[in-house]
Amino acid sequence: MLKVLLKKQLAEAFKSYFYDAKKNKMRSKGAIIGWFVFFIVIMAGVLCGTFTYLALSLCDPLAQAGMNWLYYLILSGIAIALGAFGSVFNTYAGLYLGKDNDLLLSLPIPARTIITARLMNVYLMGTMYASTVLLPALIVNWAVAGVTAARIVCGLLLFLIVTVIVLLLSCILGWVVAKISLKLKNKSFVTVLLSLLFIGGYYFIYFKANDLIKDIILRASVYGEKVRGAAYGLYLFGRIGEGAWLPALLFAAVTAAGFVLTWLVLSRSFLNIATAGGSTKAARHTEKRTKEKSVFGALLGKEFARFTSNANYMLNCGFGILLIPVAGVLLLFKGDMLCTLIGTMLSGRPGSAAVLLCTMLCALSSMNDMAAPSISLEGKSLWIPQSLPVSPGAVLRAKAMMHLILTEVPLLFAAVCAAVIVPAGPAVKVLVAAVPLIYTAFSALFGTAIGVRMPLLTWTNDLVPIKQSGAVMIALFGGWIVSAALAGLYLLIGYKIGALVYLAVWAVLLAAAAAVTLRWLNRTGSRLFAELG
Amino acid sequence: MLNIEHLTKTYGETRAVDDLSLRIRPGEIFGFIGHNGAGKSTTLKCAVGILKFDAGEITIDSDSIKAAPVRCKQKLAYIPDNPDLYDFMSGSKYLNFIADIFAIPADVRLERIHKYAAAFEMMSALSQPISAYSHGMKQKLAVISAWLHDPKLIVMDEPFVGLDPKASHLLKEMMRTHCDNGGAIFFSTHVLEVAEKLCDKVAIIKQGKLIKVGTMEEVKGDDSLEEVFLELEAE
Repeated sequence: MLKVLLKKQLAEAFKSYFYDAKKNKMRSKGAIIGWFVFFIVIMAGVLCGTFTYLALSLCDPLAQAGMNWLYYLILSGIAIALGAFGSVFNTYAGLYLGKDNDLLLSLPIPARTIITARLMNVYLMGTMYASTVLLPALIVNWAVAGVTAARIVCGLLLFLIVTVIVLLLSCILGWVVAKISLKLKNKSFVTVLLSLLFIGGYYFIYFKANDLIKDIILRASVYGEKVRGAAYGLYLFGRIGEGAWLPALLFAAVTAAGFVLTWLVLSRSFLNIATAGGSTKAARHTEKRTKEKSVFGALLGKEFARFTSNANYMLNCGFGILLIPVAGVLLLFKGDMLCTLIGTMLSGRPGSAAVLLCTMLCALSSMNDMAAPSISLEGKSLWIPQSLPVSPGAVLRAKAMMHLILTEVPLLFAAVCAAVIVPAGPAVKVLVAAVPLIYTAFSALFGTAIGVRMPLLTWTNDLVPIKQSGAVMIALFGGWIVSAALAGLYLLIGYKIGALVYLAVWAVLLAAAAAVTLRWLNRTGSRLFAELG
Repeated sequence: MLNIEHLTKTYGETRAVDDLSLRIRPGEIFGFIGHNGAGKSTTLKCAVGILKFDAGEITIDSDSIKAAPVRCKQKLAYIPDNPDLYDFMSGSKYLNFIADIFAIPADVRLERIHKYAAAFEMMSALSQPISAYSHGMKQKLAVISAWLHDPKLIVMDEPFVGLDPKASHLLKEMMRTHCDNGGAIFFSTHVLEVAEKLCDKVAIIKQGKLIKVGTMEEVKGDDSLEEVFLELEAE
């Protein structure tokens, strides 16, 4: 029974490898093998490779300093963090939000078997992430510091202890996520904020990693003494990898007790967890007079409501909203230096700074592609705009307008910053600001057009239209190609006519392209939208 | 009110609706029955302008759904068989969105939302996101949104599915009142007892073709609607 349940759990976790949500059918054998090869390359190649490099950098100097325990402490800490955070959302969904809880509870399966299967699934997922750090850590240390029976047995015990700690932390974190998500009001905004903090933290550590490693190696004895003095438990934990029996048995006993306790708590509370009603907290409705909106205002409001209620949509299609103003501020502070650098590097091509600033703003604007998936996101509710007395053209224009507003407002700020710092005459300054704004208008209309031309309405997970649809790919990469063309053509031949004429030509071309796309949307696009479904 | 003439709709090689003609007059509750896949939903979707059709003409108060879709849609409301509403809105926001589209003044919409939401015991649910609604609650919200702008014609696909007995009863009363006030209702159903008690006229469709249409008495005579339906289906 347990084997069957575990197989089901794992099939669910890896379902995207077997099932193509975009085409709504099972993948071919070749595609399944391809996806698993890709997965192995990512896990074994990228993650294992990164941590093998880290282990190689740390192991030799720390082993020579007689501080193998610090090496194991650092890498075990990373393994625990990666394992717990890597599988926390899987734990949350698998352990606390199982969609098949009702079904399983109605079958003749003891609750403890269900929870054991769920825990084993969490354990395997966490172990998968933790192994990418721990296995290279152990192998590198055995190779560098030498192999003894105690080191091998204690190393394997350390592996077990760390993976069980990952399991315990995943359960606790999953429980915290479940509790928070039940209480949160603006869940999507909080998710976006946390994701941005995570991405920011990741890049901060990534860029500081080399300095951190150097610092640890240089001051290993100082850090080692501090840890040993302030947190003796951590010192003992690190000693497990060195082959110290007593700490190994002590931590093995503590984690085993923690595991039994978690299993008991979850087994006893599983029925409550599994049958919890979800986030339907009763809210008192207060009748109030609502401000009337025009038809277009209502359609636009609907588009904004969809965007702001969906964290996936905001993160994947609206990242530019944050980056564009940041770029504007950076231009104000570092713009002069950047322009001087460009001027020096491309001294034979005057006006390059103006064109490259335009290119940068256009490329940043391309990071926003919320119009492209907006038609596909109508999904099963497509019948609403189709049965309401609104022209398909108005529906499409509302989608483009949402993109336009969300991008043009921050872009206006960044464009003004660029115009202020660029060393050029007033006419070029105006064009440096105008070209990205006109480009954004074209981009919003083009995204809508490609969205209605390549709709994907049969999705079951909104990530499919948001991340995997052809429309989004074309809108995103198309934007970058246009941006690259803007810079590339100038550096190749455009500089001969000067930045003023070159940017003016682009402004006219982009405005014309936007006008043609708008006309297409009003005619062919509207017809296509009316015929969707 | 609603005039369907020689409607034909094909999906690839399959003829879903074949030369179907119907006329629904003001004051009529018109039931549309047939087995699964007979072409009921396709006909209803064509009637409200969601689906384009290959041949024939559909008019609402003399306006062609092909030539003047927006004008036609201003006079009608549609409830699909599976009310997939905007999950990212609350019930209240959804109703206000519909009210904005139909340009219903603020005080009128407030009064109507209160009236229908109270009748369906949905007042406390209006603040909740639609994603938290059960199927029945979504169906109730779809019904409220349909009645919100006081349309002349209401087209419904299996409207009683998912509704509790009290809500079903209320919907039947609302349908009768709507037609007594000069409106018209065209709806599909599998519940023949409901059709028999509620409808003024009924049409039976089989494999896309209309096989019987008329007043309830004309269609069923002395038999029950169920007997007639099963007999016609067996032919």
